[in-house]
Amino acid sequence: MDYAIETISLTKVFSDWWGRAKAYAVDDLNLQIRYNEVYGLLGPNGSGKTTTIKMLLGLLHPTKGHALLLGGDGTDPKINRRIGFLPEESYLYRFLNARETLDFYGRLFGLAPNVRKMRIEALLEMVGLRAVASRPVGMYSKGMARRIGLAQALINDPDLLILDEPTTGLDPIGTRQIKDLIIKLAERGKTILLCSHLLADVEDVCDRIAILYGGRIQAEGQVRELLQQSGRRQIVTSDVSDEAVNKIRGILESENAECEITSPMEKLETFFINTVVEAQQQARPTSGAVSTTQIGEFLMAEKSQAGILDKLVSAPVSEDKPAESPATQRIQPSEVPAPEPDRNLLGELTKSTPPAATEQVGPAKPAPSEVAEPQDRKVRQGVLDALTGKTPPATTERPHEGPKDEEAAHG
Amino acid sequence: MKRPLMGRIWAVAVNTIRQALRMKIALIFIVLLLVLLPVLGLTATGDGTLKGRLQTFVSYGLSLTSLLLSLLTIIVSVYTITSDIEQRQIYTVATKPIRRYQLLLGKLLGVVVLNVALVTLFAGIVYGVVVFLPGFYDASEETLRQIDNEFYTARAGLVPAAPDVEEEVTDLYNRLERTGQLREAYPALPPDRILRELTLRKQLEKRATGVGDGLVWEFQNVRPLDPDQSIFIRFKYDVAVEPPNGLIYGRWQIGDMRQVRYGMDFKTPIWPEDRADPVRTFREIEVPARVIADDGYLAVGFLNVPANSTTVIFPIEDGLEILYKADTFTSNFIRGTLLILFRLIFLACLGLLAASFLSFPVAILFCLVIFFTGTVSGFVLESFEQLSASAWQVYSYTIGALVRLLPQFDKYNPTAFLVPGRLIAWSMLGRVLLLMVGIQAFVLLVLALIVFSFRELARIVI
Repeated sequence: MDYAIETISLTKVFSDWWGRAKAYAVDDLNLQIRYNEVYGLLGPNGSGKTTTIKMLLGLLHPTKGHALLLGGDGTDPKINRRIGFLPEESYLYRFLNARETLDFYGRLFGLAPNVRKMRIEALLEMVGLRAVASRPVGMYSKGMARRIGLAQALINDPDLLILDEPTTGLDPIGTRQIKDLIIKLAERGKTILLCSHLLADVEDVCDRIAILYGGRIQAEGQVRELLQQSGRRQIVTSDVSDEAVNKIRGILESENAECEITSPMEKLETFFINTVVEAQQQARPTSGAVSTTQIGEFLMAEKSQAGILDKLVSAPVSEDKPAESPATQRIQPSEVPAPEPDRNLLGELTKSTPPAATEQVGPAKPAPSEVAEPQDRKVRQGVLDALTGKTPPATTERPHEGPKDEEAAHG
Repeated sequence: MKRPLMGRIWAVAVNTIRQALRMKIALIFIVLLLVLLPVLGLTATGDGTLKGRLQTFVSYGLSLTSLLLSLLTIIVSVYTITSDIEQRQIYTVATKPIRRYQLLLGKLLGVVVLNVALVTLFAGIVYGVVVFLPGFYDASEETLRQIDNEFYTARAGLVPAAPDVEEEVTDLYNRLERTGQLREAYPALPPDRILRELTLRKQLEKRATGVGDGLVWEFQNVRPLDPDQSIFIRFKYDVAVEPPNGLIYGRWQIGDMRQVRYGMDFKTPIWPEDRADPVRTFREIEVPARVIADDGYLAVGFLNVPANSTTVIFPIEDGLEILYKADTFTSNFIRGTLLILFRLIFLACLGLLAASFLSFPVAILFCLVIFFTGTVSGFVLESFEQLSASAWQVYSYTIGALVRLLPQFDKYNPTAFLVPGRLIAWSMLGRVLLLMVGIQAFVLLVLALIVFSFRELARIVI
């Protein structure tokens, strides 16, 4: 079987000046990460996570063993072209601004100028740095630098994304956004290696995890399998009457089962996000990053579609396409029905609205009629969200998101 | 495939230039030069004459440009690699689809492009000042003519070939040895040193002439730029006995002496000149260039007239030389600028090599040591020759060999040519290009590429 990442008894020994072995940073590691898998590499500090990644990418030479990325060598440009890498800190050129940074990395990938320009704007929008894109990266806060670091890892629309501690330094919204992004990218068939010691991050997004200690895998498996408590069950209901609760309690007691009934607590993360979103809606000024969850559209295209999408977007269009023209403002959430009718509405909107600059919307979206079926609904859903600035109906198929998060997305 | 490849290298190059400019390294040097060059133009007076002013300015201006840009090149080329490694931007760059050698070539290209731009800018400023400076002075016709002949020019110099004295020296040596005078005359000297002394003595004899006697030097391939202009015989007298008034009287004849010797019809004139000149001072005789034969042959004859009562000697190194304008000042100046650029390219490759395996301060130190050794290498090598044979051999095979591997910056210093208005020949420029860039810099670059391609870029962190 082919693996997206495979290591064969990968070993890294750090030796002292005399060549005597000092420490095994990575010890006989055998990783097998399948395509389209979100794989979490967990471990305390100094457990060999970062060293493993550096060996995968050829920044360190293995003492013993091999590492294969996408079936090839991590130093081969052909393989590098399909990889996105975010190191443990965003090591960026402090003298470049955000746009120049992305442009530089885009050029390293040999992206055509129009594609490069489109992706840069989409990514800046996505990571919420568009407003500060002309400030030197050296003046960014750690979280902002992290965002631009993430953007550079995505500029080539990678098949394999290697993220080393992607959420360090990020505010909860940014963290949430990265988690959403990972999930969405995985839905699009990308493979993601996530390396972290923040357990909550890993738990939320990973399909499979390995726990590393002393350079060796201590445990590996599916998150659900590893964490599920057999012999216990949980029922979550909407707000039902006390009467119904008592009935349920009666049934459970008749089965001799222990039970505990409480109101579920809101997660602090969700509460925080809601609070900030509220503030954003009141348009409090901030010098920091402005979060949106608009994910760069080119990332949302499946591989076969990428060509079409790029072509569409590379067609000459005015920079700031209509956002909130009078026509769009009139549309109420209630008027936004199931996806089917949207398509016509959107077609009209994109055609008829005159250009009016706003900050909320990125470059022009592809014409809907030319996009193939499965993902276009999502793409357009995004456009529509942007255009209306409203929450779409809860019928979207984003499994990991609750309605609360949707709201957060459009603040 | 070719275009995106170049695109990547160019992207790295542009980034390197931005780094140099925005991290203010280059900026400091640029501002310094922009301030210093005009100030020099005002303050450099030399010996007070207009020519002195021009010479001093060119000398200081170009030397300063060359020195500061050399330092800049070393710092930028070392910094651009070491900072990427130490601040770890290399993690994100080296994992992109670019080979490490392309990365390094991109850095080199950036440094070279920056240097080309800066050398052009500052050499342009120096050139501008030099060309417009005379306009600010009330110089007489005579002065302007002199400057035209001696400064705004590119004169080629021809020195007579050293006479072949080997046979005579061997004879003399053997004779002295047979008669036992050798030990007497040269006690405690090894044979090779004695031979050198004797050679020198014999050669000097050939450059000396007694009263009433004469000397003739022959030159081939004298090709002035413009046959209507003048050529110059530059000479210096030395004497056995000091003349009472310090002057030597000489009768010179300059032209195609073959016409006299073989009794041919005169096609070109013979230029006669009787003059009195002080001893041990450089003097120049101006002669119209038409005295040169069509095939480039020229003979110079000197007669030690009886008015002198001493043997006249023309010192071996600089006793006699023919100077003629072989090119314009402008194109000579451009070649001088290219010499500076070659030096900078060498230093850029040196910096990349040093940075590929050393940390910033060590790499800088390493480069500076090599740079300064290069600027005094002529002096170092010359000093070895003064040592006795056994010591000379030890040094020449150790330090000397090392120094010889380095470029000789002082030997190819443009100001040494531009100040006396000497020609920087294309052939010499080509030789320097081949040696300094084609071989020395290239070897350094290849080494740098190899080291950089195989080293571990990540810092070891456990």
